[in-house]
Amino acid sequence: MAGWKSPEQMTYVGKEVTRVDGAEKVSGRAKYTHDVYFPRMLYARILRSPHPHAQVISVDTTRAEALTGVKAVLGKLRDEVNYVGDEVAAVAAVTEFKAAEALSLIKVEYKVLPFVVRESEAMRDSAARVFSGREKNVGDWEEEHEGDVERGFAEAEVIIERTFHMNVQVHTPFETHGCVAKWEGDELYMWDSTQGVHGTRSGLAQHLQMPENKIHIYTHHMGGGFGSKFGPKSYNAVCAQLARIANVPVKLLLDREEELLATGNRPSSFQTIKIGARKDGTLTAFQLESYGSGGVGGGAGVPAPYIYYFPNWSVRHRDVYINAGAAAPMRAPGHPQAAFAMDSIMDELAAALGMDPLDLRLKNDRNSTRQQEYVIGAEKIGWTNRHKSRVGHKVRGFGMGAGQWGGGGERSTKAMVNIYADGSVDVRIGTQDIGVGTRTIVAAVAAEELELDLADIKPKIGESDFPWAPASGGSVTAPSVTPAVKRAAEKAKNKLKSIVAEKMGVAEDAVSYAGKIFSISGRAENISWQEACRFLEGSSISELETWGEGLSSWGTAGTQFAEVEVDIETGRVRLVKMVAVQDCGLVVNTLTARNQVNGAMIGEIGYALYENRLLDVETGIMPNADLENYKIPGALEMPDFDVTFFDQHERGVIGLGEPPAIPGMGAIANAVADAIGVRITELPITPDKVLMAIEKAKEGKA
Amino acid sequence: MVLLDYLRTIRRLTGTKEGCREGDCGACAVLIGELKNDAVAYKVVNSCLLPMGLAAGKHIVTIEGLTADANPIHRAFIDEHASQCGFCTPGMIIALTAYLLSAVKIKAEEAIDALDGNICRCTGYLSIKRAVAAVCADLSPKLDSNRIDDLVKAAVIPEYFKTMPKQLRSIRQPRGDQHPTDALIAGGTDLFVQQAETLETAELYFLEKMQHPVWEEDGVCFLDAAATIADLKESEFLQELFPRLGEMISLISSTPIRNKATVGGNLVNASPIGDLSILLLALDASLHLSGHVQERCIKLREFFVEYKKINLAAHEIIKSISFKTPDESVLFNFEKVSKRRHLDIAGVNSALLLRPEDGLIKEIHISAGGVAPIPLYLAQTSVFLTDKKVEPNTVMKAVQIAESEISPISDVRGSAEYKRALLGRLLQAHFIALFPDLMREVIV
Repeated sequence: MAGWKSPEQMTYVGKEVTRVDGAEKVSGRAKYTHDVYFPRMLYARILRSPHPHAQVISVDTTRAEALTGVKAVLGKLRDEVNYVGDEVAAVAAVTEFKAAEALSLIKVEYKVLPFVVRESEAMRDSAARVFSGREKNVGDWEEEHEGDVERGFAEAEVIIERTFHMNVQVHTPFETHGCVAKWEGDELYMWDSTQGVHGTRSGLAQHLQMPENKIHIYTHHMGGGFGSKFGPKSYNAVCAQLARIANVPVKLLLDREEELLATGNRPSSFQTIKIGARKDGTLTAFQLESYGSGGVGGGAGVPAPYIYYFPNWSVRHRDVYINAGAAAPMRAPGHPQAAFAMDSIMDELAAALGMDPLDLRLKNDRNSTRQQEYVIGAEKIGWTNRHKSRVGHKVRGFGMGAGQWGGGGERSTKAMVNIYADGSVDVRIGTQDIGVGTRTIVAAVAAEELELDLADIKPKIGESDFPWAPASGGSVTAPSVTPAVKRAAEKAKNKLKSIVAEKMGVAEDAVSYAGKIFSISGRAENISWQEACRFLEGSSISELETWGEGLSSWGTAGTQFAEVEVDIETGRVRLVKMVAVQDCGLVVNTLTARNQVNGAMIGEIGYALYENRLLDVETGIMPNADLENYKIPGALEMPDFDVTFFDQHERGVIGLGEPPAIPGMGAIANAVADAIGVRITELPITPDKVLMAIEKAKEGKA
Repeated sequence: MVLLDYLRTIRRLTGTKEGCREGDCGACAVLIGELKNDAVAYKVVNSCLLPMGLAAGKHIVTIEGLTADANPIHRAFIDEHASQCGFCTPGMIIALTAYLLSAVKIKAEEAIDALDGNICRCTGYLSIKRAVAAVCADLSPKLDSNRIDDLVKAAVIPEYFKTMPKQLRSIRQPRGDQHPTDALIAGGTDLFVQQAETLETAELYFLEKMQHPVWEEDGVCFLDAAATIADLKESEFLQELFPRLGEMISLISSTPIRNKATVGGNLVNASPIGDLSILLLALDASLHLSGHVQERCIKLREFFVEYKKINLAAHEIIKSISFKTPDESVLFNFEKVSKRRHLDIAGVNSALLLRPEDGLIKEIHISAGGVAPIPLYLAQTSVFLTDKKVEPNTVMKAVQIAESEISPISDVRGSAEYKRALLGRLLQAHFIALFPDLMREVIV
C-alpha cells in the first residue's frame, strides 16, 4: 500500500485544517457526557471517606433509603478506606441535592486507623501502615546499572550531588469524570467521559461479569483527560449498578473536589543525583537514588539517566505508598520528573565547570535531532547574547531543558470506511477525541486518500461498537489512527475502482482515479465519483483495514528555553518567553499540533510555578481541593511562546501529546537559578521559596 | 436553586458548563442584562453562584442565545483553533461578548483582560488570544453608534436584543419581601461556594442596591454596601480620587466575580486577606449599620474581632461604608502578592494612606492582610510613623514594629516566615512607590 505523499502534494494532511466539529463546540451544541439527559434520569453521588485510613465496620443506609426521592442505594463499597475521598457508599435520587442529602443520612461506623501522608515518614519501619495487613509502605527496589559507576566517578574531575523534589500535579480536566448509565434489558449503554471507549467496555464487562457485546460506551465529545481517564473506574460500575437497581438511567458526575481528591495525579518524586564529569565537560558517571509516591497507587519511577550519555551509571528507585488518592498516568508519565532533575543538575555542573549550559548539552547529548534543535532554540531565545538584566528589583534569567518520548502506533488499530451509493462516505473507528481534534484528522486523512472534500467525509468516532482503536494516551492516537484510516480508505477506493472496472467491462488496472474522476485507459469518457458510487445502488462499500507499517513511527526529541523575570522583593516569577523546538514526524494538522505544544507548555508553567496537591500531616486532608487554592494558570499568565516543528515528515506520523510537556520545568528552574543565583530544587517555584532562598543566600554571604 | 442548575437540568440549555461550581473557572458564564436608564446593561456573571432570585427581572443570555450563524466570534474561535476540548469555550465566548457589549472602545488587550475569569486547560491560550484579537480587529471599526444595533448587524447577538429594554420595562421588577428569612444575599459569590447545599432550599432575602453606589456628603465619601466591586471600578468619582483605581481593582478576583460580589459582602465575609477590607482599613473607613431598633456607626478597624468573627448583631446589616474624602495631598498605595497575578487570593496584601504636611507624615493608616486572623489595621506602626519624616531608617524601624503587630500562620498560600518577610517588603514597597527619590538607597 502507498505511503504518505510529500506534504506539498497533500491537500489536508500537513496543513492547517480547522476542526470539523468546531461549529458544534463554539455554539454550545456539542454534547459532552455532562450534557446527556434522559427522561426520568436520576442523579447519583458517592459518599467518600473523611478519614485517610479507616476500617469500614458498617454502613447503615436505612434513613437514606427512606428519604423521598431516593431510588437506589449501594452500601459499603469497601471494607477499608485508604485516603480522604475513598469511596464508601453511593445513592441515586431525583436531584443531585437530594442525593447529597441522602448521603448525609448514611451512617457509617469507622474504626479509624493510623495513617501517613508524608513520603519520608512513610518509608520508616515505624510508620503507620497505609494498607492494613501489609508489612511495609514501600515497594521493592528497582535497580539498574551499566558500566562501572565507581570507576566513572574516579575518572571525574568535578562531581556534583543534589537532591530534587517534585510536587504532585493533578490533571484537572475541565469536564470532571462522570458517566450516564442506561439499561435496556440486559444491555448496558453508557455515556462516559473516557479516554478509551474499548478499554472501558472490556474492563466493565469483567467487573460486572457480563459479555462485552452487551456493553456500549459512547464518548462523542470530551472535556479533556490528560491521562486521568483511562477507564473503567469504580464510578462507572457504581453508576451501572445504581441504574440497574433503579431501572432508569442514572447520571453520576464527580464534582471538582472529588476530581482533585480521587481521580488521579502525577506522583511525587524525590531524586538524589550524583554526576561526574571531566573538566572538558565529558560526563563520566551518573548515580540516582529515588523514591516517590503515587498515593495508594504506584508508578513513581523515573527514566534515568535521562537523555544525556553516561558511560557508567547506576539507578535505584522504590515506590512509597501514602494515604492519598492514587496516581494515574499524566502527560509523559515519569519524564517531566526525570527531565527537571537532570536539567537542573546539568546546569549546576555547567556552573561548576565554568561552561555554557548549552555547550555542556551539545557535548553530551547523542541525539542528532536534539543537537540541531538546541541550535535552533538557542537562536530563537537569543541565547548567545543573553545577559542577566536587572531593572529595579526585577531580575531576568535564561534556562533550557530537553526531553524525549516514544509514542508510536498500535498495530491492532482498525478502521472501517463506508462508501454509499449517493457518493457520501463515513469512517468508523473506535477512537475518541479527548479534545485534540481526532475527529478532524480522521476526516482529513480519509479526504486526502479518497481525494474528496473534507465535507464529504463523516468521521464517526467515540463509540465502542466501532472498530478497535487504542485509548487516547501516550501520544499513540495519531500514529495509530491515521495509518488505519488511510489504509481502509485506500482499500475502499480500490474496491470502488474494481466495481467501475467490472461495470465498464475492463480490467481493474485499466481504471485509474484522480481528483474525483475515474478514467479508463484508452477510453475518452470519464466517470465521476458520484456516477461510480451510483453503481453501488442496493449496496455499499464497507472496508475494514488495520494499521500498517511505514506510515507512522515513534521516538521524538525536543528542547525548550525559558526567559523569566524574578521580582526579588516578593519572590514572584513571571515567564517572559518560552521557546520550544520539537519534532513529531509528519505533522498531520499544523493548526492543532501547535495548540498541543502550547497547551503542554502552559501545563508545564503550572507544574513549575503554581500547582501542588498539598496534604495536611495532622489530618490527611487535602487543604487545596478546589480551584480557588489549587491554582492552574490563566490567560494572563501566558508568556510569549515560540514553537518550531523540526520537520521530519519522511518518518511518518508520530504523536505529540506528551513530548512538549517534558522539557519546560527544567528550563524554567534553570532560568530562575540564572536570575537569582540560587537554585530552587523543589517544585513548584512559589514566591515564598524564591524569597526565602534569596534571603538565605544573603545570610550566607554576610 | 442557582441559575446554572436551572439552565442545565430544567431548560436543558447544556452549552453552559459546570467546571468548578465555585466561580473560579468561568465555564458557566452567562450574560446578565439589567435596565439602566433606558438601555439594558450587560455583564458577565458565573451562573453557578447566581441564585434564581437574582436573575428575576433580568435578561439572561446563554451561549445558545447568541447569534449562531456567521457569528464572527464563532468564526474566529474555529479559524484559530481556540476551542480544543471546547468545555471552556462557551464561557469564553460569553465573556468576550460581555466585553463587546460594554466596552467604550474595543481594544484587544482589554478584551483579553476581560477573560480573567475564564480558565482553559488545553490550548495554552495563544489560540484564544489570536481569536480575541481577530474579533476585535474585525469588529472595532463596525462599532460606533448604537452598540446593540451594531452587534446585531455584526451577527454577534440576535435581533431581539433591540426589544429587551421594552420587555424588561414591561415585567414587574421583583421586590424583596421583608419577612424573616433564612439568609440574606447580596452578591452570593462566596455564600454559594460555602453553603450551596443549605441555600438550595433556604428562603432567601436579596439586599437591594441603592440608587447610587457611590456618593459624597460634606467631604465624606459613601459607598453603598450593596454596591458591586465593578460599581466601584466604574465610579467616576472614585476614579478621580484614586487614579490607580482600575489597576487596584483588577487585582481583586475576576471580572464575573466583581460583577456580583459586593462591598458589604466582602467585609462581612471577614476573610483575613480580603482585598477590599485592606483597602478600606487604610482609608480608615466607618461602617453604618442598621438593625431592628437603631442604627449605629463603627470604625471598620473595630469591626473585625477575631477569625471570621465580626462586630455585627444577628439582625444588623451594613447599609453603607464611609471614609473622609482624601484631598489632593493624600497619597495612597496598594500592594498584593499572590502566586497568580489574577483571580488569586493574596499571600499578603497591604494598603497605605498617607497625608504629608511640611515634610512630615501628618496622618497615616496602614493595613495588612494574610498576617493575622483578621484583616489587620497596623495601629502601632501607623502611630509610630505619625509626625515622622520619610526616611529609609524610619521605614525600617516601622517594618520592625509592624512585625511585632502581626501573627501570620503557615497555610496553602505560604509559610509564616515568608509572610512575615513579605509584609516587610510590602511596607517598603509602599514608600518606594510613593517616595522614589527619598527611598533611593533602599531601591539600590
